[in-house]
Amino acid sequence: MSQLTDALASNIGHGQGPGTDAGKSSKPRKPPKVPRGKFSVHFAHYKWLYLLLAPGVVYFAVFRYAPMYGVSIAFKDYVPFLGVNGSPWVGTQHFQDFFSNPDFPRLLGNTLILAFLNLGIAFPLTIVLALLLNEVRLSILKRTVQTLVYIPHFLSWTIVASLSFLLFALDFGPLFLFLNNVMGTDIDFLSDPNWFRPLIVLQEIWKNTGWGTIIFLAALATVDQDQYEAAIIDGAGRFRRVWHITLPGIRSTIIVMLILAIGQMLNTGFEQIYLMTNALNRSVADVFDTYVYFVGITQGAYSYSTAVGLFKSLVGIVLIFGTNALAKRFNQSGLF
Amino acid sequence: MMRRKLSLAAAVVTATAMSLTACSGGEAPAADLSTVSIMAPFLEAQPPSADGAVQKKLEELTGKDINITWTPNASYEDKTNITLASSEIPHIMVIQGKTPGFVKNAEAGAFWDLTDKLDDYPNLKTNFPDIQQNASINGKVYGVFRGRAPMRAAVMFRQDWLDKLGLEAPKTTEDLYEVAKAFTEQDPDGNGQDDTWGITIPKWGALGSNSPYDLIEEWYGAGNRWTEKDGKLIPSFETEEFLEANRFVKKMVDEKLINPDFATFDGTKWNEPFFNGKGGIIVDVDSRVSVLVNLFKQADPNNYENKVGFVGNLEGPDGELHAHPTDGYSGFLAVPKASVRTEAELAKVLEVLNTMNSKDVAILLNNGIEGVNFTVEDGKAASIKPETEESKAVTTDIKSYAQLGMNVGGNTFYPVKQPTEYEQQVFDKRTEVMAEDLKSAVYNPAAPYVSATYVSKGAQLDNIVADARIKYLAGQIDEQGLKDAIKLWNTSGGDKVTEEINQLWQDNK
Repeated sequence: MSQLTDALASNIGHGQGPGTDAGKSSKPRKPPKVPRGKFSVHFAHYKWLYLLLAPGVVYFAVFRYAPMYGVSIAFKDYVPFLGVNGSPWVGTQHFQDFFSNPDFPRLLGNTLILAFLNLGIAFPLTIVLALLLNEVRLSILKRTVQTLVYIPHFLSWTIVASLSFLLFALDFGPLFLFLNNVMGTDIDFLSDPNWFRPLIVLQEIWKNTGWGTIIFLAALATVDQDQYEAAIIDGAGRFRRVWHITLPGIRSTIIVMLILAIGQMLNTGFEQIYLMTNALNRSVADVFDTYVYFVGITQGAYSYSTAVGLFKSLVGIVLIFGTNALAKRFNQSGLF
Repeated sequence: MMRRKLSLAAAVVTATAMSLTACSGGEAPAADLSTVSIMAPFLEAQPPSADGAVQKKLEELTGKDINITWTPNASYEDKTNITLASSEIPHIMVIQGKTPGFVKNAEAGAFWDLTDKLDDYPNLKTNFPDIQQNASINGKVYGVFRGRAPMRAAVMFRQDWLDKLGLEAPKTTEDLYEVAKAFTEQDPDGNGQDDTWGITIPKWGALGSNSPYDLIEEWYGAGNRWTEKDGKLIPSFETEEFLEANRFVKKMVDEKLINPDFATFDGTKWNEPFFNGKGGIIVDVDSRVSVLVNLFKQADPNNYENKVGFVGNLEGPDGELHAHPTDGYSGFLAVPKASVRTEAELAKVLEVLNTMNSKDVAILLNNGIEGVNFTVEDGKAASIKPETEESKAVTTDIKSYAQLGMNVGGNTFYPVKQPTEYEQQVFDKRTEVMAEDLKSAVYNPAAPYVSATYVSKGAQLDNIVADARIKYLAGQIDEQGLKDAIKLWNTSGGDKVTEEINQLWQDNK
């Protein structure tokens, strides 16, 4: 979470100056003079700032970077008894095994399809919902709706999956009965491979769309209100205002969120998919996360599954940098 | 959302790395072994207290301070591996089975090879060498196995429905079909509605996991995981009988004699359709009979008899009984070399295990403390009523302490006296039926053998066939599809597994 808020704070900060009526009044304040030259002088000048920074650096060093030492088991044949140091090196053996595994194309395909479905459907819906909420003028209604759409975020995937099982249960699930009566079919949504992805995306939308609006609503609050007044005088309707003022106003936020979402894209959510998988839909349900669990934890192939996890992380990094570069190229401010 | 989750692999890595750093300053365990540490799983909501009556009595009987690390069963295997990577390794570890993780550690030399040592101790010398062999890794015994009743398969049905329809208890798989059909179509609950089915099967697919599918296949004569054909071992799913058995199950699925959601139905709710009068048959272990009887008893203590009927294994279409046994053990107690360094220390640890296998300790671990929570009546343990605070604590604790019981010489503790005469009858009949079926048991000939290829990718391989079996039953693929999946098993590494298993089998014959 911390990364996200940092990035956001800096980005929202970028666009606006201090206060809401930015732009027209004061120029940005000049930064205080930075002493140049020796590091020690520099350090002495900023020692309190460095002190503030220290806990963050220590946190990342100890809890984020030090454990990466363990990633080395991706290149070893790790046996717990022998330990990380004692296990023999095997080079890129595990990566070769993985890429030549018949499961690999299927896993990659399933992961990417789910990722793009989530990105293509769930992500825009968050913006749409935020825009809708933003248009609600009755404050009590707006706040009630906001609270209601946040609630699903706090339910665990286990509960979401149990609810789905109840709603779509054969013979007595209300949604099962309703949909099959309306469509005149007899589909078992829980085991039919064709319905696996729609179910997963629906669950994702139900659970997280509301929560995702928080950041966009914060960004929407900073859009210059004067522009709306000017637009109304010019005779712009509601949709024109959204298109020409609101959306450009939160563009930088959308791009930051998009870059972050793309970086997380391959994290298709282990719990959710694991809980919804069964023998009949496994062909479309297996993704990297569940595979790592299945191979790593239940079969004790720690090295192999670490290699798979490492591969996934590398793809994630490439995606983040790639999107960031693209965003910059199209003259948008990127994430970094 | 952002830091939603480290991938699990990374989590494992982190945990391992952390425990390494955390423990680097640990001291070597004391060599005099006045304290013996044990790592064991617990299945209850809470681990037993460290100063309870059972713990004290155990220390008194063994003459040692026993330091037990109770670990939740759900994460036991992860914890086993993390413990092995640390430097605080207990003297005795309960290992739950020949998992790939354990096999790799054992072959790397993490545990003492006890093959030639156990026979020196009177209580550790087993009366069931076959089971000890099953629990070994290719003949090497790495632990004292925890004995379990090998024969457990049973078919239970609603006796009241059977009586109402005037049917006989099933004896053969064909009878099972007839009863299931009658339960589905002849309105056994008499409510005038077509709202019942025959057999309830939960989501349960893995091969060789004693699932209803495995049982029916074995009854058909497909064998128990591996089967000998023309002097060679082949996986049971490569037999013609396997296909026949699945055709039979598919017929029942197609005729709606089996719950339609068998691929997704939650196993923890297995008793519900039976109890609520939806599905009248369950194929599972015989101990479920008593669970079901108890359900009816709790709902109506005056009218619960004759609701649950059961039989053991069923005869196959060939007219013979191929009864399905388990491998007869549930993991073993192994001794890590990292904590027990010398032969002399090992001898002391084995001495403790020997005491833990004595009759006195077996009674303590399984029955409790005589005079506190049970008394002996006609050679059976009857619980003392009403319960006191003290007896309740003992009764709760032994549910976990039973995990330490090995009983390699057979059960020396008292059988539990059932609370009512009817339940005692049911219990005695269970014992009798299972003893009878045991005579026709068809064992897994490859149980002692661990193939290297299977260790590295067996679970993935087996999933190919297990998933195809469910897909075939659900009608997603046809019989050719099932055969193709079996062929895929062969070409993805299964042939290598078969070859290695046969080599081991030949070598140890």
